[in-house]
Amino acid sequence: MEIPYIVTPRKDTGLFNSKIAIWLFLASEVMLFGGFFSAYVFLRIGADYPWPERTLPVLPGLINTFVLIGSSVTVVFAWASLKLRQWRRFQIFMGITVACAAIFMVLKGIEYNVKLHHQAVRLKDYTVIEGHLGYEKEDGVEVKDYKGHKIEENQILIEASKLTFSTVRFHKPWVESLMGQAAHHNAEITLTEDIKAITEIGGKEEVIAKAGDKLSPGLLSRIQKAHLAARKSNSVHRTAALREEWKIAKNDSPELKGWQLAGAVSVDPAALAPKLISEISTVGFTVNPPVEFMFRPRDVQEGATQSRLRDDTVIEGKLLESPMIFHHVDAIDFQHLAMKAEQKGIDPISAIDASWLVQNSPFAREAWEWHKGEVAKLEAELLKDYGTDKKGNPKREPTHKDRYRIGWKELVKKVESEGRPKLSGTASLAEEFVGPNYAARGDETFPHFSVPREQIGFASKFTPSWNTYYAIYFTMTGLHGLHVIGGAIVLGYYLFCGKKMYLANPEWLANRVEVGGLFWHFVDLVWIFVFPVLYLM
Amino acid sequence: MANSPEEIKKATTSYLIVCGILFLGTVLTVLVATLPALDIGRHGFDMWDCVLGLLIASVKASLVAYVFMHLNHEKKAIYWIFGSGIVFVICLGALTALAYSDPLHDPFFK
Amino acid sequence: MSSHDHTLAGHDAHHDDHHHDDHHNPGFIQKYVFSTDHKWIGIQYGITALLFLAFGFYLMMVMRWSIAYPHEPLPSWMSWIFTDGWKARWLQDGKVTGETYNMFGAMHGTIMVFLGIVPLGFGAFGNYVTPLQIGAPDMAFPKLNMMSYWLYLAGGLVMCGSFFLESGAAKSGWTNYSPLAGFADGQVVNQWLSGQTQWLGGLVLLITSSLLGSVNFITTIINLRARGMTWMRLPFFVWAMLVTGFLLLLAFPPLEAAGIMQLMDRVTHSSFFMPSGLFTKSEGLADLSGGGSPLLFQHLFWFLGHPEVYVLLLPSLACVAEIIPVNTRKPLWGYKSMVYSVLVLGFLSFIVWAHHMYMTGMGPVVSTWFQTTTVLISVPSVILLTAMIISLWGGSIRFTMPMIWACAFLPMFGIGGLTGLPLAFNLADLHLHDTYYVIGHFHYVVAPGILFGLFAGIYHWYPKVTGRYMKNSLGHLHFWPSLICMNIIFFPMLVQGMAGFHRRWYNGGDAYLSKAQDSVNVFGNTVVQHIDLNILMSMGAWTLAIAQIPFILNVFLSLKFGKKVENDNPWDATTLEWATPTPPGHGNFTFDPVVYRGPYEYSRPDCEGDFLPQWVEPKAKPAEVKPDPVHDNTPSAH
Repeated sequence: MEIPYIVTPRKDTGLFNSKIAIWLFLASEVMLFGGFFSAYVFLRIGADYPWPERTLPVLPGLINTFVLIGSSVTVVFAWASLKLRQWRRFQIFMGITVACAAIFMVLKGIEYNVKLHHQAVRLKDYTVIEGHLGYEKEDGVEVKDYKGHKIEENQILIEASKLTFSTVRFHKPWVESLMGQAAHHNAEITLTEDIKAITEIGGKEEVIAKAGDKLSPGLLSRIQKAHLAARKSNSVHRTAALREEWKIAKNDSPELKGWQLAGAVSVDPAALAPKLISEISTVGFTVNPPVEFMFRPRDVQEGATQSRLRDDTVIEGKLLESPMIFHHVDAIDFQHLAMKAEQKGIDPISAIDASWLVQNSPFAREAWEWHKGEVAKLEAELLKDYGTDKKGNPKREPTHKDRYRIGWKELVKKVESEGRPKLSGTASLAEEFVGPNYAARGDETFPHFSVPREQIGFASKFTPSWNTYYAIYFTMTGLHGLHVIGGAIVLGYYLFCGKKMYLANPEWLANRVEVGGLFWHFVDLVWIFVFPVLYLM
Repeated sequence: MANSPEEIKKATTSYLIVCGILFLGTVLTVLVATLPALDIGRHGFDMWDCVLGLLIASVKASLVAYVFMHLNHEKKAIYWIFGSGIVFVICLGALTALAYSDPLHDPFFK
Repeated sequence: MSSHDHTLAGHDAHHDDHHHDDHHNPGFIQKYVFSTDHKWIGIQYGITALLFLAFGFYLMMVMRWSIAYPHEPLPSWMSWIFTDGWKARWLQDGKVTGETYNMFGAMHGTIMVFLGIVPLGFGAFGNYVTPLQIGAPDMAFPKLNMMSYWLYLAGGLVMCGSFFLESGAAKSGWTNYSPLAGFADGQVVNQWLSGQTQWLGGLVLLITSSLLGSVNFITTIINLRARGMTWMRLPFFVWAMLVTGFLLLLAFPPLEAAGIMQLMDRVTHSSFFMPSGLFTKSEGLADLSGGGSPLLFQHLFWFLGHPEVYVLLLPSLACVAEIIPVNTRKPLWGYKSMVYSVLVLGFLSFIVWAHHMYMTGMGPVVSTWFQTTTVLISVPSVILLTAMIISLWGGSIRFTMPMIWACAFLPMFGIGGLTGLPLAFNLADLHLHDTYYVIGHFHYVVAPGILFGLFAGIYHWYPKVTGRYMKNSLGHLHFWPSLICMNIIFFPMLVQGMAGFHRRWYNGGDAYLSKAQDSVNVFGNTVVQHIDLNILMSMGAWTLAIAQIPFILNVFLSLKFGKKVENDNPWDATTLEWATPTPPGHGNFTFDPVVYRGPYEYSRPDCEGDFLPQWVEPKAKPAEVKPDPVHDNTPSAH
């Protein structure tokens, strides 16, 4: 059996099979990316926070655009060379195309990496601080945790004296972490009291774990097993008892409907009790002596004396001071605060003046005062350049972002205007790719700052969780990146494994390259929209 | 479809020209977005920047589709297929936009 | 195509023949497991889909218990399938809990729609019949076809596998609305091991599968038609498959986008669909930035959701449209108008979606738009149904087993369609939204409507697949109880819905009754008046399960004991699938099929039987032969 029209086009449609298929696929892709672009538009229109406008560094995106457009041209040339039966030229052009895909992904990787290591925090009054968290140091040496890893200064610290685990839901890696941390501080976690249970129907209560037994996943699993077995056995007997009750109730009053009877039917707990065995839903452990434990903020819901992990482990003990410490603050953003103030009808400037950060950080106060001067200068400049309209209002005014955001470039400008030496050309060019150079610029430009835990409203790295802009940015560019990788694999396959097919049936290979090329152009076409929408708007 | 050697050779020049236009278009988008001198509308990002940016992007995208993807001489079936994608994606965007721009104003629900 | 073609490419077509020899015998695995033959893939789809349908049906039986007898333990004839451990986790003293009901409800909908009906209609019938009817040796991309089946199976298993997780399977309804679905199972530490996340993962696999499938179908129909098979000579079945293919191709991707975004919400804690201020860490959920739009999810979901209804419907309608002319022995009435109707239906189905969202606070302009388009779309639907009813007029009907099912399809689907009209008007929808009326309407379309059409298809093509008829006696034993039970289940739903029964009451209104014993409106307490229907409907549902036993027996017993077919064309049909050997071998046709006429040439006085198949060469009237579009380079008819 042979499928027709694989190589030669069908006469009436003029098309070979895979060409129809790729266009169908592209139509589907149009709908997919259309869905994302619609989502972008509606998330942006509906955003209840200041949308981060023109927030990404343009240079990497610009270079990537050039790279993709270039590769789009070379893939056409590769196809043309095949049509002209020039294998060598095909190899060269296809090689360039695949190389371009690699460059694109490397640049993308750098961009992602910078974001994933950049921290932002929104205070309770909606002031936003951005910067770089450092690792905990003691006398200039980095402190290591029980695993020997550096400790990022964004931890919840609890001096725990008692831990209560949920038998069903405890998360093994977290249990192991608790054990490791305790051992690191020379403390022991031991069972608070004997666990007594009836493990057989009609049996006697026996001790299945003794007080003083050390915490281990094995111990928890053993108790879990007993608990699940009890839950299972009890459920069987409760069900049977309830069934029996219903039978009796229905015999007694056959004229009544189920919903009329329901209130009266119940199982007699005393009669059932001898058939039940013990369920152990929680197990308590004591930490001796009470020591300091660290938790990632997302995993724990902290309280002054009692905290809870997401796997239902209850930690009793004092919540210690757990500040989030920026080793380098590189932006202060009052846009959200100003927006909230305007919504309440408060003057944003005075709201910022009264904000916790300006009140408590001399650096922030100084930067804010300096920034107000800069805004005034910009205002005057715009008025001078563009004048006023008929009503006497200035034609152009500083934007919301100009007024209320102090970005890293402003901070640099500030210290440079105060006489700090400038960075070399290449060093400042590198900053366009990997963000501000803390080492060279120093603490004077990007200072140390500690945010008390109780001031934090929401904190995140620049990941999809920070806000919907970064969410759609990562989703769209990530999906586009997957398309680039997929396309590069297919084109690479033609490049490296196509020789045999070229010798056997060059026209078929040309068709395949054409189809792969069509996909590649589409990937380029999507980027042509993604670039301005995400980088320039 | 440029299938013959002569046609392909002839098309090569147009590929290069289009490539040049695409590069220029990209530079133009960036300049329009970053240079205050080329900023139309108000200061900073506004509707006009959006319209202009998308306009340039659309021209670039059309050129890619038209020349690189050979839509300038394609078979009827392809136009139907790709066209249906475009039409329905516009439906999706436009009708969702309509739904967002027309919320219910209920005087009892304030 | 330029004339240079021949110099460059013309001779290459035969180069590759050696790689494609069909003489070697494939092994068992290659033939029956990883098969690339469209017929076997169709059968794989069919068997898998029927198994999923049975599972979805079982979930529904448990739900019906919870509705009829909410305070009584699940009887052992239904609960034997669970292990004791599972029962201890999910049943409370043997009773179905609200959480379990939600889980079963969500998975019932998902399984029936995505894993049952679509694969049965589009996957099984489409795969088996379409290439045969257009005279193609196979699908355009056989390997892709195989892949789409395996992706479908993987997606289904991922979704259903989540029943065994500690968190259980998805519980947020088959519509999976955010923010409900966004924070469901939020307490699970490893989000990948939660039912809701697995549901989304499975959905992405299913969408990929249907994308590959639809690309394959459309390419096959466009490019692999036999000589002489012009567009207007295509059987209606093929047209319906073409439109279904386009619906799947273009409507699914926005849902895929929504699915990916919801996956991001769950796994990376983004806030695409999560509004501000709804969740904080103090509620035991992950910390979220907020600022997203829950309505966005609904828009993207229903952009798929509505075309999906036609994806369910069209294959079934197509089966019925094939069966009616064969058994009435007269041409399908209004073939052309049916073709145009189905095209218009396909187009309109993309712009009606927000009639599912009247209650989300849309303004009058947009509500009017969607109300208008929704009413408009009933026009092509009515044309299709009417044309099929008129096709019966004046025919000498053979009441074969498939025809009986097809005849039942017409009124059942009619009820389903007409009960939809009140829901299309937003004033009526205010009252009926989220009541059992909606459930009744939808199930009338899908269960006695679509499913009956598909049963008709199974009885109709079974002789081609196996070489034997299905037994009529068992067939009747299957048909009549099914028809009666379906109506017992779904008609009271319409009544209950108008009486105000909410569709998500897991205890059938009991809790409502105990809270609102004395709440009485002008009609009295409508819930008390209609609550006993619950028991009747549940009894109907369980009887329906028993009624399927003859069908299962029939499928297996007829393989061995069914009456053998007399020839390759046992129903005296005209379309090309009956020109193949029974069952068709790999590559389908033993001759080069050429098509000389339209698909429904019945009641012809001028030929020996009363019918003239598409492939039979004309004897007396050479004028009937149209120019060959493939080889004469004339434009196609459409």
